[in-house]
Amino acid sequence: MDVFEALSTAANIMLLGMVCVFAFLGLLVIVINTIAKYCPEEAKAAPAKQNNVNDQVSPDVVAAISAAVHKYRKSRD
Amino acid sequence: MEGLLKLWNDTGLANFEVGQVVMMAVGALLLYLAIVRGYEPLLLLPIGFGCVLANIPMAGFTDEGGMLWYVYHVGIETGVFPLLIFMGVGAMTDFGALIANPKMLFLGASAQFGIFATLFGAIALNLVPGFEFSLADASAIAIIGGADGPTAIFLASKLAPELLGAIAVAAYSYMALVPIIQPPIMKALTSVKEREIVMEQLRPVSKKEKVFFPLAVLFATVLFLPAATPLVGMFCLGNLMRECGVVDRLSSTAQNELINIVTIFLGLAVGSKLSAEKFLTIETIGILLLGAVAFSIGTASGVMMAKVMGRFSKTPINPLVGAAGVSAVPMAARVANKVGLEANPHNFLLMHAMGPNVAGVLGSAVAAGILLAIVGG
Repeated sequence: MDVFEALSTAANIMLLGMVCVFAFLGLLVIVINTIAKYCPEEAKAAPAKQNNVNDQVSPDVVAAISAAVHKYRKSRD
Repeated sequence: MEGLLKLWNDTGLANFEVGQVVMMAVGALLLYLAIVRGYEPLLLLPIGFGCVLANIPMAGFTDEGGMLWYVYHVGIETGVFPLLIFMGVGAMTDFGALIANPKMLFLGASAQFGIFATLFGAIALNLVPGFEFSLADASAIAIIGGADGPTAIFLASKLAPELLGAIAVAAYSYMALVPIIQPPIMKALTSVKEREIVMEQLRPVSKKEKVFFPLAVLFATVLFLPAATPLVGMFCLGNLMRECGVVDRLSSTAQNELINIVTIFLGLAVGSKLSAEKFLTIETIGILLLGAVAFSIGTASGVMMAKVMGRFSKTPINPLVGAAGVSAVPMAARVANKVGLEANPHNFLLMHAMGPNVAGVLGSAVAAGILLAIVGG
């Protein structure tokens, strides 16, 4: 095959290839968005845990820590 | 005396040819890069060793009936090894970042321009005397720009088996060189201000979406691009095994034991193709050159596309993530993250770059399917 003929074939493949890649991945964008529309987000169970942490710390400890923090802040003034 | 002479004639020293010595040096160089420099050691080590084995005089590893001959014919000529690796890669890939921000697929698509531009370049190289690449050869070389080892090996084994050794070595070497090749291009194409752009946090992705994703990708491939189904199909199988949650044992095998076993044989078989008469040619130099060009163009077009998208998008897009569109998972994403951190130490782009990064894997598989359909069919 003549080199220039081959070059024009290559240019054709380049154009066709890029159009196909974009078209196909563009289609996937639509597909993913469609899936996302019909898949509601899972309910989150996370916030309940944070309360537990507070409960486990006894009031005495909280008092002791806040007293210490208070004292520390005062000492820095 | 006669016995001694016969023994001497059976030694390696008496039978070495210059080409074999040079190829052993190439094998040693690959071993050095793998062991000392840590460049893609999982593949360059078996490839380098395979290269040494294949060039031992009188040993006959690569002759018909030799071990490496069998490994090559069973695994690579049939396309089985790269496909098994692709399944493992699928099982290791989390598509969450892509599902959360699907328009990143366009970055993965534009980075494939490196492949098609190189195809043109390889044909243009025919104008230089000494080069004679057919369209099939050029396609196999161009896929190096996809920065995806298994895809490159798969396509080369189908379109240009005689160039496979050089193509595989180029593909894996450049993947290892991503942290060196990409940053200068990324910095040249973006301003500091652009590199500082902070992207919005990604939304959480539900398990259902992750399970449907590989099935939907496979379905779309079946409908529109059956030539890509070997690669995409195995990739989706691996990913479905990972996400569905009921076959953890299979998923763990695919991403650990199986991929490791196959990697050993794949590396050896690729190394066995590094024989002097096939590797020490002017074509190899052309392939190495074109591979670097392919990589650079892919990186540049990904960044440029990200800049264009950033202009029209409602949410900010940092152009650096575009460079991750040339698969090379997860190295390219890490590079984007690192360059981003240099501009703004509080800006972590890793998760955002993973989107285009895995999109690049899909993109190069799709590009390989298109090349197979046009050139191979």
